[in-house]
Amino acid sequence: MSISRRKFLGWLGAASLGTSVGHKTARAASNKHFDGYPRSNGVLFDSTRCIGCRKCEEGCNKVNELPEPDRSFSDLSLLDAKRRTTAKAYTVVNRYNDAGQGRGPLYHKTQCNHCLEPACASVCFVSAFKKTATGAVTYDASVCVGCRYCMIACPFEIPAYEYDNAFTPKVMKCTMCFPRISKGLLPGCVEACPTEALTYGKREDLLRIGRERIRKFPDRYVDHIYGENEMGGTSWLYLSEVPFKEIGMREDLGVTPAPKLTSGALSAVPIVVGLWPVLLTGIYAINKRKEKIEKQEKEQAVAAAVEAAEAEAKANMKEALEFAEKQKEKAIEKAVSQALEEAAKAAEEEVSDTPAENADKKSSKEDS
Amino acid sequence: MPKGRALLRGIIIIFAVAMASFLVGSPAVFGVNTQPKAKSEIRADIIMLDSMKVFGKLERPAVTYLHQRHTEALAKKNKDCAGCHLSGNDPQTGKERMSTKYLRLKDTTKQEVMDIYHNNCIGCHKETKAAKEKSGPLECGECHQQQATVISSWQAIGMDKSLHYRHSKAMDNKCEKCHHEYNANTKKLFYAKGKEGTCRYCHRSQTEENRISLRHASHIACVECHREIHAKNETAGPFNCDGCHEPSQQKLIERVKDVPRMKLNQPDYVFVKTSAVDKEKANPLSRMKLVPFNHMAHEKYNDSCRVCHHADLSQCQQCHSIQGKKEGGGVTLQQAMHRPKVDQSCIGCHESQQNQPSCAGCHISFEKKQPQGTASCTNCHMVPKSQIIGVVQKDEEEMMAAQALGQRDAVTKTYSDADIPETVVINSLADKYEPVKLPHRKIVKTMVNKIKDNQLANFFHYEKGTVCQSCHHNSPAAKTPPKCISCHSKPFNAKDPFKPGLIAAYHRQCMECHKAMGIAKPVATDCTGCHQKK
Amino acid sequence: MSDEVATTGRSYLTPFNIIAGIIVVIGLYVTILRFTQGLGAVTNLSDYNPWGIWIGFDLLVGVALAAGGFVTSAAVYIFGMKKYHSAVRPAILTGFLGYAMVVVALNYDVGRPWRLPYPFIMQRGTTSLLFEVAACVALYLTVLFVEFSPAALEWLGLKKARNIIMKLTLLLTIFGVVLSTLHQSSLGALFMIAPSKLHPLWYSSYIPVFFFVSAVIAGLSMVIFESTLSHRYFADKMDEAHLKEKDDIALGFGKAASLVLAGYFIIKVIGISEGNNWHLLGTPFGIWYLVELIGFVALPCFFYAIGVREKNLKIIKWTATWTVLGIVLNRLNVGLVAFNWHLPSSERYFPHWMEIAISVFLVTAGLIVFRFIATRMPIMYTHKDYPEDH
Repeated sequence: MSISRRKFLGWLGAASLGTSVGHKTARAASNKHFDGYPRSNGVLFDSTRCIGCRKCEEGCNKVNELPEPDRSFSDLSLLDAKRRTTAKAYTVVNRYNDAGQGRGPLYHKTQCNHCLEPACASVCFVSAFKKTATGAVTYDASVCVGCRYCMIACPFEIPAYEYDNAFTPKVMKCTMCFPRISKGLLPGCVEACPTEALTYGKREDLLRIGRERIRKFPDRYVDHIYGENEMGGTSWLYLSEVPFKEIGMREDLGVTPAPKLTSGALSAVPIVVGLWPVLLTGIYAINKRKEKIEKQEKEQAVAAAVEAAEAEAKANMKEALEFAEKQKEKAIEKAVSQALEEAAKAAEEEVSDTPAENADKKSSKEDS
Repeated sequence: MPKGRALLRGIIIIFAVAMASFLVGSPAVFGVNTQPKAKSEIRADIIMLDSMKVFGKLERPAVTYLHQRHTEALAKKNKDCAGCHLSGNDPQTGKERMSTKYLRLKDTTKQEVMDIYHNNCIGCHKETKAAKEKSGPLECGECHQQQATVISSWQAIGMDKSLHYRHSKAMDNKCEKCHHEYNANTKKLFYAKGKEGTCRYCHRSQTEENRISLRHASHIACVECHREIHAKNETAGPFNCDGCHEPSQQKLIERVKDVPRMKLNQPDYVFVKTSAVDKEKANPLSRMKLVPFNHMAHEKYNDSCRVCHHADLSQCQQCHSIQGKKEGGGVTLQQAMHRPKVDQSCIGCHESQQNQPSCAGCHISFEKKQPQGTASCTNCHMVPKSQIIGVVQKDEEEMMAAQALGQRDAVTKTYSDADIPETVVINSLADKYEPVKLPHRKIVKTMVNKIKDNQLANFFHYEKGTVCQSCHHNSPAAKTPPKCISCHSKPFNAKDPFKPGLIAAYHRQCMECHKAMGIAKPVATDCTGCHQKK
Repeated sequence: MSDEVATTGRSYLTPFNIIAGIIVVIGLYVTILRFTQGLGAVTNLSDYNPWGIWIGFDLLVGVALAAGGFVTSAAVYIFGMKKYHSAVRPAILTGFLGYAMVVVALNYDVGRPWRLPYPFIMQRGTTSLLFEVAACVALYLTVLFVEFSPAALEWLGLKKARNIIMKLTLLLTIFGVVLSTLHQSSLGALFMIAPSKLHPLWYSSYIPVFFFVSAVIAGLSMVIFESTLSHRYFADKMDEAHLKEKDDIALGFGKAASLVLAGYFIIKVIGISEGNNWHLLGTPFGIWYLVELIGFVALPCFFYAIGVREKNLKIIKWTATWTVLGIVLNRLNVGLVAFNWHLPSSERYFPHWMEIAISVFLVTAGLIVFRFIATRMPIMYTHKDYPEDH
């Protein structure tokens, strides 16, 4: 097919324009670091203040209109077992008896950490998760297909799924009470906490508060605010008396934001799309050319062989003909000489014999 | 095909061998932790033999040596210390002294010392084993253990007031039996009367030139003496490891309740000096009010002198000048007196006392802790300089200090019952719960009762409103201190980020105090314990 | 074979049909349960284990084993290895049915399968590797369908359509290789988002490369495997070319597989080195990793090489089966065994029998369709109207 130069340049321009107007570019190797939207909110959980009363769980349940649990929230014996977030509980409190080294049990409240660069938002192929400017990571059930990749991706193992819902299953996780905080209210758990173990405010302020608490009371706190940098930073920050892994938090997650873990692989996609066709076409072309040359060479060889054969045949033929010619001449000569001999012989006999006999013999000789 | 089949077989065999050797050897190769087979023993007599350190880096791990096990085993064979420890003439005392080294008086060469250990230890073990008795290890790795199979329960022991008293009584108050000084010129030990101090003033953790380590010194002094006395069939102290260092056995050591005061010419009352120059005894260098100090009472409060006299029995300012001196490690006088968290400083010791349960409720609630206001300085800095100018005599000084301290009424005071509300009804936030009926007076009286015998508390709580300030905090002491709602309202005010909201203020106030004081009821999670549900 | 039922004179109650029939019936029953009562009723999935064997096996293994399509067509049409031509259509059919099965399995697994087109028509999440997988798989399924269609068109006698499509062969092949590279590697890259959940020996920044290379190996081995089975059961449908080329295919593909397996082994060792994970090889998971690496990668490599050198087809065929099992093992390891390795055993996943039933059902359905197509359409033979013209 032949295209005009104009058309070709037009397509080229359109293609480059298309690639530059990207929707969300995956930065593979850049120095950009996202510190959170300015003035976004967060929650600081101070485990030294938590008394394990589960009022936060109750508050969350009421505010989000979640189903009533089997055992009431004032049943603290539930804390004997380790629990995780479920489709019916956005947040749970766990007790750690041995962590305090004689200071009594310590508590840790688990819920979505509303990461600055959430893994769930990065991996959702319908962009059902959004990191909002308020700091909350929200979930849009109206587009969710239910692939549950977000549950694979979350390093804190937070999202839960309504496996028992046949027709409208949703991913369930803490929303930081996005509708409430958008109206200036407090998240349900924060409001319910009697000891202000949960402090709500701007993330920047919470970091300062956390650092100040550590500075003022270095004996009481481990010198680290969990969530300041973990997984690139989270909006839910934690303070603790003991090393965080003793209250059930993973300290081996690193500081790389989740999207950076796969942006390298993603960035290879356009390169493959760009290069592979070139490579493959090239190989095909080289192959084709090789085949063509092979064919040509074969034909040439065949032709040459045929030619050679023909020439050889011709030469042979000529030789044979010449030879035959020579033979023929020789034969003629021989016949002529033989005839002459016989004629001479006949002539001699005629001289001795009658002329009439000679004449007969002659004529018969001539005839032969 | 037969060639292929042979190759196949060969490969399978090689593979099987490789996998097998790998699986067997992998723990060693990859350093997977092999747990010690037997359950770890807990012993107090572990000595890590690493004396080869003086010859350079150790090639093998230090040997875990169990001293008491050996002494007990050898005692059964009627062998005593001399079997392993040689005695030599001690030039410093002129007496025979047993060396704590094994079968040698001095470390000579690396090879020799190593041979002493190897030949004798292993030799003895071999003999014992040959005699079909329980013996020690013979393999290298069993002594030079990579990972210890014994856990140490060794606990240090020191001479406190009670032990010292028992010892001086047993020695008929002959201090020279234990206390000595060292003459650097003659290189000899001698007894200096009046200068007796703790061994630790000179003997440190490591052996230095001409000065053995505390460990060596204490074992030579204590253990030998105990042995001698025991040999005379008299009651003596322990001379095996466990007797001094095993925690359960330490508890068995008799403690004298009321130890009579040691007589070392120490003052009863004294002013804390600010300069080392004698002339200024009564004319201190600083301009601040002087601190009278009840030395006699403080002797009672501490288990030994070295809690405060940590390097020397002399006065603090000898090493801690106002600007700091080399002798004092650069620590200035102000730091020495005021540094928190160290027992030898005044403030530090007082603060650590606040951790007791009866005090902790008010003092440990850290969120409310404010740095000491300037008014509290006068609690100690009481006597204006002008008052004692010209006082040079020691006993006059003592009298003045005693007087100044006597003026302070050491009683925890609070307001009269009529001025303390009996019940306080907290109804500011009563929506889910009924108002709280706080038994206010009962709480105050209980807290005051708990500390009424504590001199330290009494000394500092001499103002009426002081004890109220634990709950009515961030405000001056007064008869009608502010209510909580005066300052605490809505939480999470970005302009005042460290002030909790009212609910948290109420809850943390009570809950944290209860937790610090170890009060079991009401449980923090039992809401109806304090307020009924509506 | 007692019942003579059909007019063709051939009984339908063969052992395969009976067993397949039972499987299909059970499969349909479980399908109804799944779509009326939800995932929780038929699976052992949990909040800790959102992906079970429908992803770990049906999706990951299915896509890997269907890789024969692009490998064979690339070999024949791009690299010009004409002597494997008879392997192309069976490989394409295997690939097409494989991907079709994957898409069907996906409908079972996601919570709202009717929303599967959403990433393309509603809202896209292009930061997600799953978007890339979805797009490439969808496109590739189309490519495979188009590549397969000439066989159907020939069977239906639609000459013109068939000829048009045949002209697109090269383009489709190139497109197919590009798409396959992308989605085979991206399926591995899916797990790169969770380094804290995948055992360090299986987690590597090279996962995409590992998955792609092992897909090539899977493709090569599956072609040999499928060819072996087809020659056993469908030999009467094969034409001379197919029967003749069979041995060459096994030898050629076996040689290629040996080489690629060697390369795969080397890059896996490089992966261990890159992660500095040598010390983990002594742990139980490490031993399991070595079983996978040495028992199912290094050894098949050797045996392929031996088979090719000795021209021993039996060895090659068994090694092909062995290699396929190795790929299955690798995908299951990444998706189910090494994933969540840090969780206590009470939280680990084991499939519900109904999940296994559906997986078996889908494979059986695939086999039934394969048999239908292979016995009727010109897969194993050249249609008389279209003699070899390339």
